Amino acid sequence: MRRTNISRRRFTVLTGAASVAPLGLAGAEPVTADVAVRRIQAELGGDWPATGPDGFTAGDPSTLVKGIATTAMATLDVLKQAAAANANLVLTYEPTFYGRADGRPPASPMPGRGPMGLNPDDPVVKAKREFIEKNGLVVFRLRDHWQARKESEMVAAFAGALGWANRRVKSPVGEQALALYDIPPATAEQTVAAIRERLKVRAGIRAVGDRNATVRRVLLHPGAMTPATMWQRYSEVDMIVAGEVREWENTHYAADMFTAGEKRALVTVGRVVSEEPGMRACAEWLKNVVKDVPAKWIGAGDPYWRPA
Amino acid sequence: MTAREVVDLVKQNAGAPWNERSYRDTFKLGDPDTAVKGIATTMMTTFGMIKRAHEAGLNMVISHEDAFWNDRDDTKDLTDNPLYKLKTDYVLKNGMVLWRDHDHMHSMKPDFTVVGELRAVGIKGGEDAPMAPRIRTIPETTLGEFAEQVKRLTGSRAFRCVGDPKAKVSKILVGPGYATPRMTLEADVVVGGEQQEADGGFDNVEYVMDAASLGMAKGLIMLGHVVSEEPGMEDYANWLRTFIHDVPIRFVPAGEPFW
Repeated sequence: MRRTNISRRRFTVLTGAASVAPLGLAGAEPVTADVAVRRIQAELGGDWPATGPDGFTAGDPSTLVKGIATTAMATLDVLKQAAAANANLVLTYEPTFYGRADGRPPASPMPGRGPMGLNPDDPVVKAKREFIEKNGLVVFRLRDHWQARKESEMVAAFAGALGWANRRVKSPVGEQALALYDIPPATAEQTVAAIRERLKVRAGIRAVGDRNATVRRVLLHPGAMTPATMWQRYSEVDMIVAGEVREWENTHYAADMFTAGEKRALVTVGRVVSEEPGMRACAEWLKNVVKDVPAKWIGAGDPYWRPA
Repeated sequence: MTAREVVDLVKQNAGAPWNERSYRDTFKLGDPDTAVKGIATTMMTTFGMIKRAHEAGLNMVISHEDAFWNDRDDTKDLTDNPLYKLKTDYVLKNGMVLWRDHDHMHSMKPDFTVVGELRAVGIKGGEDAPMAPRIRTIPETTLGEFAEQVKRLTGSRAFRCVGDPKAKVSKILVGPGYATPRMTLEADVVVGGEQQEADGGFDNVEYVMDAASLGMAKGLIMLGHVVSEEPGMEDYANWLRTFIHDVPIRFVPAGEPFW
């Protein structure tokens, strides 16, 4: 059983060409969350299946939008900042309700260990829902379609946040951009320190490999990186900077490469931290898509700390 | 004694029915009929650990985690990979055999990974702990003080903690490796190895951040996968010695991979 909330289903219908308001008239209609999302969907294109992760997860889609907040993860702190800033439509890259199901009962038992699904009486879930309701917020998950854009901002904005925007290695015409960057040469240790400083990460940054390696060419991979990608790409570069990996897979591979004498390093900055710049870019993009209301990015920040 | 005979003895002594269909608990490399000169137990079959085992004269490795950088140890996409070739050549040239015991370790009572982890984080009374986590009550402290103690005791460098360091905590839920337990109403702190940060089955990180934002005393401690499960491999070596007497048995740590 999917969630009964009408909105996800309705949008697949509403995104049909006939229902999209002509651009010239867009300013005339009151901008509800519904309307704002339809414009975003029309601009991004593609199918918006009710079974996908993207869709409304909380709040009433007929709410009039005063402002839009984008974020990598709609934590309660982010929602509090959005409410205080009068941004009542929140677009989040990661779930709001603590898992892939994002508050919906899972369609089928998911693989893996541990109990699934959320208890609706859970005090954290209840308090978050109440906060959203009381403050008239509407939360929409925007992941797949933002990531799948032809000119994806997830990598470019991540590079920008690292100060490497103009250092992208040119890809041959017609080939997929490879997310490679040639940065000012420094040791892996120095590069990690620079990344920590740039992204303002706390304990979320972790590194494995040769700390003395000279780093020139870097592969950027926001989000989670699979072992297959790691096996294919690691030898092309001096450093991979990713969001997160599995320790017994990619980290293990990087550790073995170090044992084999390879002068490279793997750095993970945290999934959310790696996705923040892309959602910051989303707020900029929105200024030309939903022009009637202001859009701003709200950082979720590095969740982790470490005792001294 | 051959590696196959060692594994047969493990199966007989595990105290639980053996699942022959486990894709994890299989020989990964080397000839199972190799005569065993010595056994090395470890958390993860890293290249460094393999070299240390060989240098110590131990030619059979029993590891809790994988050898070839993916959970299934699927090597079909690795046949042309230079690192794969280097690692397999080293193992075969030196007459070594790699075997994994993961699923069955977790179904044993006690589960040595949990026993070792509880001991490593300084929680007493975990000598009989099974895989299924249960609340362990410690004298009330703050999350910050508890985290400091756990970091010092485990020596974890890539130690990560979520929640308010000033939160008062006493009820601790501990799980090994990727089986970081889900936060519950009753628990104050969840301690685990690693977990997907978001968009998984249950996202502890966001849940604990939000609980902390509500002023609830909740914390999450991530030790690192290797750090959380490695101590139990010493218990495993001790257990092997209770029924294998003919060859030396040593715990050879893989070690935390992070700087």
